[in-house]
Amino acid sequence: MSLLALSNVTIRYGRLTAVRNVTFALEEGETLFITGPNGAGKSSLLRAIAGVVPPAGGRIDFGGHDITGRAPEDIARMGVSMVPEGREVFASLTIEENLLLGTGMHAQARNWRSRSASELAAIYDTFPMLKDRRHSQAGLLSGGQQQMLVIGRALMTSARLIAIDEPSLGLAPNIIDQVYDRLIALQAQRSLTLLIVEQSSTRAMLVGGRMILMRGGEVMLDGDARAMGQSEALQAAYFGYGEH
Amino acid sequence: MAGLLQTLFDALSLGSLYALGALGIALIFGVMRLVNFAHGDVIAFSVFALLWPSVDAVAVVFAGNMPWFLLVPFVLVMGAGLSVLSELLVFRRFRRANPATMMIASFALGFVIRYFLLMLFSSRPKSILLLPTLSQPVEIFGARIPLLQVITIVATILILFGLTSFLRRTRYGLEMRAAAENFTMARMLGVRANRVIMGAFALSGALAAAIGLILAAQTGTADIQMGSAVMLMAFIATVIGGLGSLPGAVLAGFLLGAASVVMQVVLPAEARVFRDAFVYGAVILVLIWRPQGLLSARGTKERV
Amino acid sequence: MIKRASVARRTIATPVILSVILLGFALLALWAGSKPFNQTIIEIFLRVILVVGLYIFIGNSGVISFGHIGFTCLGAYAAAWLTIPPMMKGISMPGLPDWLMQTQLPYWGAAGLAAAFAAVFALIFGLILMRLSGIAASIATFAMLAMIITIYSNWESVTAATSSVIGIPIVRNIWPYLIGAVIAVFVAWGHAISRTGLALRAARDEPTAAAASGIDIPRERLIAFTLSGAVMGLGGALFAHSIGVVTPDTFYLGLTFTTLSMLVVGGMGSLSGAVLGVVILSSLIQVLRWLEKGMQIGTSTLSIPNGLQEIALGVVMILILIFRPAGIMGNNELSWPLARAEKPDHGGA
Repeated sequence: MSLLALSNVTIRYGRLTAVRNVTFALEEGETLFITGPNGAGKSSLLRAIAGVVPPAGGRIDFGGHDITGRAPEDIARMGVSMVPEGREVFASLTIEENLLLGTGMHAQARNWRSRSASELAAIYDTFPMLKDRRHSQAGLLSGGQQQMLVIGRALMTSARLIAIDEPSLGLAPNIIDQVYDRLIALQAQRSLTLLIVEQSSTRAMLVGGRMILMRGGEVMLDGDARAMGQSEALQAAYFGYGEH
Repeated sequence: MAGLLQTLFDALSLGSLYALGALGIALIFGVMRLVNFAHGDVIAFSVFALLWPSVDAVAVVFAGNMPWFLLVPFVLVMGAGLSVLSELLVFRRFRRANPATMMIASFALGFVIRYFLLMLFSSRPKSILLLPTLSQPVEIFGARIPLLQVITIVATILILFGLTSFLRRTRYGLEMRAAAENFTMARMLGVRANRVIMGAFALSGALAAAIGLILAAQTGTADIQMGSAVMLMAFIATVIGGLGSLPGAVLAGFLLGAASVVMQVVLPAEARVFRDAFVYGAVILVLIWRPQGLLSARGTKERV
Repeated sequence: MIKRASVARRTIATPVILSVILLGFALLALWAGSKPFNQTIIEIFLRVILVVGLYIFIGNSGVISFGHIGFTCLGAYAAAWLTIPPMMKGISMPGLPDWLMQTQLPYWGAAGLAAAFAAVFALIFGLILMRLSGIAASIATFAMLAMIITIYSNWESVTAATSSVIGIPIVRNIWPYLIGAVIAVFVAWGHAISRTGLALRAARDEPTAAAASGIDIPRERLIAFTLSGAVMGLGGALFAHSIGVVTPDTFYLGLTFTTLSMLVVGGMGSLSGAVLGVVILSSLIQVLRWLEKGMQIGTSTLSIPNGLQEIALGVVMILILIFRPAGIMGNNELSWPLARAEKPDHGGA
């Protein structure tokens, strides 16, 4: 049984159809990139999986349960952690508070701080620069540090699936390298399943794994990232050659 | 010296009322972007909850004869209860609505509550004897200050400390702060939206009840309009303080209290009746100078 | 580029239809020949003026104003100052300046001046308020109303404070009120199809795009605010002439609530909605009034408790906001043929 399965998912905003009949499945431990030009519906798809936007049609299953249209907090508690576009740190909270937010569902009301302490220690191990500033406001961090923070925050939820929307947005190339290095290391460490929306298909091909290309709300290609990178089919699908 | 001290206590105690009111509004606005116009009527309701329904001029108090340590929690619970009820019955239906719609709905709800009280109690103010020991004056450095004023100020300080600790140290408080900044993101981390909102309403209702208690003890009357004057100032305080900023609301509440009292003292006798109008005028000046409020709040900027 | 004339031609059906409906009510009053019924219809026309005035600002800008009844108060007292016989004025409001004390105008002249008076204050307040964000502006309008009522409730020499100001010539004829309502409707329509109305609605729906297109949002809001202030002032003046007495308390929360609920139920973004809301809720209020007074059923009198009227109004308002927040008309207008036509600029999701 796949960890995540989408069947004929359609997403509409008023009269605008953003995603049309999308079907794919994600196995545990896989890394899946969703790439494509602007407006392809990639972010909408992630938001539907996270429960922020209810699909107009179709079905989403996670771990065998139907999560279509359920509340975001319920889906999060089932093991899906979403890192949205633009990072969305809680700027007025400290780094530590941002991280601790992720532990809500696994902590009791009392001494939740100490229970989460071991989780916290693990994250600080992976991202030492966060530990240095644990009590400063998250709004003061640089872009790259914020990206690390939100990934760390997602990990604190002990999620099985981490969905990340545009991790490279607004970051310098060497920082992006660092972010991805950590991400891949963490995946191996904790047997995570990753679902990453990336506008840059090059990055997908560098990292490897599976890749889905979307355009105009539909899935155009679905296959191995590196293999697709070699073929011309990718460019054609991305830019829409040979159509109209 | 005594006169100055008296004025200071006047300003602080009036400012406390406004600050508590503004805090109640800011709490709910923070998590829901809702300006709750029904808040003033929760104040009145909490006080009327002590009385048997009747249209007499003298209230028949059924619960008001309780000793203060039972009376106060009773009133607080009634306030919190009505507030939570209004969330369950009314505001919960407006989760995806825009702020303007919710604002009008709260305005309508306020009217419903007010006229419900009118139906039971008539619009005549009732005299009630609440905690009469509090009106006796206390000597502080030669000035005679009503004990109630001192208690108001002390209670407000305690409430502010308590609330701050709650928000900063507890899990629930952390979730509320996160939800106030970015509601959707908080939900994506598993924060239960409804719990947080109910908590904000319960706190806000309890604050309203506290204001009601103080007003009732101060004036000795229960009047269905009793919350209006305080709440109008409280709304203005939230705007001046910066919508969505809790510290801004509290600060502005105290400033408005100080401005009111200063006006009272400074204005010539004939102009004193216009004191409130002068305060509103001062508010308008502040808004010209700084339309976004004194302290800016997070999360109220639109993402383009 | 849409020519102004053709837009006018296309949409003029709306104000015409509304005026015909109002005319129908006037004829109904004449036919019924009963004084109380006449007064009820006058009340409806007055409410139409007020709610249409609200629509001019709230409907087009999307900013909720709780303070517009303040302009009604200004207009009503202005009419009082201008039409009460000088001798009576001297007794109740001795502080009025001499030129005002001696003036006594016919009611229609006074009404025009009252509207202008209210408009001037709307302009002044508006200059400050329109720079605020939507929610802050709404709260500020509340403060503005409170300010006006506080001043009028206390300035004894000029407004007789909380005492009733009597002696305003009463106009029982239904036609001036009908004319006032029709004027309000046409003014609202004219503003809505004008360039400033269009710009304001664009800013209401998409503020960022509108600002980027060069629309000066505070300016457009100010224009609507001032115009609606004038209409509210006109309503206030006619209100004064309908009952001959004014007190500040009449123009506070109760009237604000009533008029706002009529706009909400009818449809905030629609002129037809404003009129329809008045008609529907006025009927409801009338029924509840009869019930409060008590209806004879057989040998017993059935009556509902006092206060139920406002509760019912509040509940209706909340229900509409939950289930049909755009009101009965939504963003649509009554048009010819009688199928509802969408407003010229209304398209897309």
